[in-house]
Amino acid sequence: MAEISTIARPYAVAIFKLAKDDKKLNVWSDLLGLLSGLVTNSELKAFLEDTKILDSERETTLMTCVGNIDEHGKNLIKLLIENKRLMIIPYIYDIYEELKATEEGTMEAQIIVAEEPEAAVIKNLVASLEKKFNKKIESNLVIDKSIIGGTKIIVGDTVIDASVRGQLDSLAYSLKS
Amino acid sequence: MQLSTSEISELIQSRIKNFSASSEAKTQGTVVSVTDGIVRIHGLSNVMSGEMIEFPGNTYGLALNLERDSVGAVIMGDYEHITEGDTCKCTGKILEVPVGPALIGRVVDALGIPIDGKGPIKTKETDKIEKVAPGVIARKSVSEPVQTGLKAVDAMVPIGRGQRELIIGDRQTGKTAVAVDAIINQKGQNMKCIYVAIGQKASTIMNVVRRLEENGAMEYTTVVSASASDSAALQFLAPYSGCTMGEYFRDRGEDALIVYDDLTKQAVAYRQISLLLRRPPGREAYPGDVFYIHSRLLERAARVNEAYVEKFTDGKVKGKTGSLTALPVIETAAGDVSAFVPTNVISITDGQIFLETDLFNAGIRPAMNAGISVSRVGGAAQTKVIKKLGGGVRLALAQYRELAAFAQFASDLDEATRKQLDQGVMFTELMKQSQYSPLSVPQMAVSLYAANNGYLDDVPTNKVLAFEKDLHGFMASKYKKIMDSINSTKDLSEDDAKALAKAIEDFKASSSY
Repeated sequence: MAEISTIARPYAVAIFKLAKDDKKLNVWSDLLGLLSGLVTNSELKAFLEDTKILDSERETTLMTCVGNIDEHGKNLIKLLIENKRLMIIPYIYDIYEELKATEEGTMEAQIIVAEEPEAAVIKNLVASLEKKFNKKIESNLVIDKSIIGGTKIIVGDTVIDASVRGQLDSLAYSLKS
Repeated sequence: MQLSTSEISELIQSRIKNFSASSEAKTQGTVVSVTDGIVRIHGLSNVMSGEMIEFPGNTYGLALNLERDSVGAVIMGDYEHITEGDTCKCTGKILEVPVGPALIGRVVDALGIPIDGKGPIKTKETDKIEKVAPGVIARKSVSEPVQTGLKAVDAMVPIGRGQRELIIGDRQTGKTAVAVDAIINQKGQNMKCIYVAIGQKASTIMNVVRRLEENGAMEYTTVVSASASDSAALQFLAPYSGCTMGEYFRDRGEDALIVYDDLTKQAVAYRQISLLLRRPPGREAYPGDVFYIHSRLLERAARVNEAYVEKFTDGKVKGKTGSLTALPVIETAAGDVSAFVPTNVISITDGQIFLETDLFNAGIRPAMNAGISVSRVGGAAQTKVIKKLGGGVRLALAQYRELAAFAQFASDLDEATRKQLDQGVMFTELMKQSQYSPLSVPQMAVSLYAANNGYLDDVPTNKVLAFEKDLHGFMASKYKKIMDSINSTKDLSEDDAKALAKAIEDFKASSSY
């Protein structure tokens, strides 16, 4: 069985190329974000997945929900309904955002801390992260008491764990081994 | 609640003291699915093929499939506690096992963890389990013998240090017995031994270890055990672990012997992993690279030259060659040597010892079929005296087999044919040898000399082995000088030959055979 993201990738790449050519990266990003939110809504999901519903009804419903969009956007919805791939929209959105971030040279960094830090600290941290990854970093601050102290930074697949919790865990591991 | 040995306060104190928490960047992934020891992971974008992946609960896995959106990894050991959504980390390391002299006399699992209850292994050295075999420049041709102590093997299919000699046969034909006898005979031969048990019953492994202990062979032997109840990943990895332990000695100018018992089960374990990883099945449902898993393993058994050893040890060991001799075992089904894995391993190794059920049941043990057993490189390494005296055995047995089939139709045989048949029967009888009783080179020389020179012609077939045993006893007590001379020169000088002839005549005159 193929991974869902493998199925979603061709769609995301196609949308990205189209958006890039039309210089509408943000418009598409908004549309995909909206669609992704719609198909994950439990009530709408139940409706869309109902086998008794006709494709035309699905189309009308979604078109009504997204409001006024251009021809390309409509075509995407039709295509996804025809291919029975509506439920992979969130994955398409994720991959599209990744491609967009790479194009714009940005990366999202999740900075997990135990307590709200000073703005200067975050600024410093972001600057050093930008230097390390050689990309513009968009920081996303998360307060999580369970890490006790220090900080944990997640950038894509890379995790820099300098939290007290992480160090305690590795101490526990070294004592057990 | 039980107190573990690692909970001694000094130990804990030193560990806390030496603990350094670094916050280096690690690549992380999420477990998507867990099925029969195979884990699919999302993320881990920088993972390398064959890299160790750390899972929660002190568990490690091996990244085997690197796909576009996921990584397929095989868990080493228990996997029940790993669930969907768990995070796992790259370690940046290839799997390593402990190596060194501290492993000698120990029984370890495929990861080098002791399982014999004799405490931790006191070695700091570890080495990668997957390594590239020495290249052509580093090698030296095989020229020194490995004495297995079995007449049939040493006389007809001699094995040299650094050779790969396959032991192949159906179940219950004495494959393990040949390998274990070869290990037992290495006592005092300056050879370190490694016995890798793959997919065997734990009780069988225990029996082998006990036999080795009883015969004093554990003093120079390491047993690597991946029993039938261990995971397929461990059964697949055990030969590589054992090989790394053997290479430690090879690279330091010493000689080592490794027995893989057996590689059929390793291939089966690998087939299981591959199918679960959804790799396309080929012949007999084995994956496409089943040849490579054996060829890369057996290539590492080699004899390396002085320059290689010197370079490897930074000049500490000079003028010494190192060797790793491999005795892989393959189990055939109903004598079918043309099955996939047997043909592969036959083509990789430098010869094979064929063991047959019919011979085994006829009481010929070791049940070696002399006609199709060969050693491609061992002849150059054979001890001079055995080479001199053993040449006739192969020929006599080959002629005997040809005539035996033919003689069934003839009622009246001429003198020459009958003599050849009688000699064949005698040699067949002489090649029998009981388990755990290896013979030394002089003993073998005496037996072969007696047979070649007609001293056994008038001995009844059923008394050949008894004659041989008494002759050895007689030689050890009365003519120790000849035995010592053969042992030191490994050759039979003319004077020794004359003395030996006289000694055997002496023995025959004093005994009632």
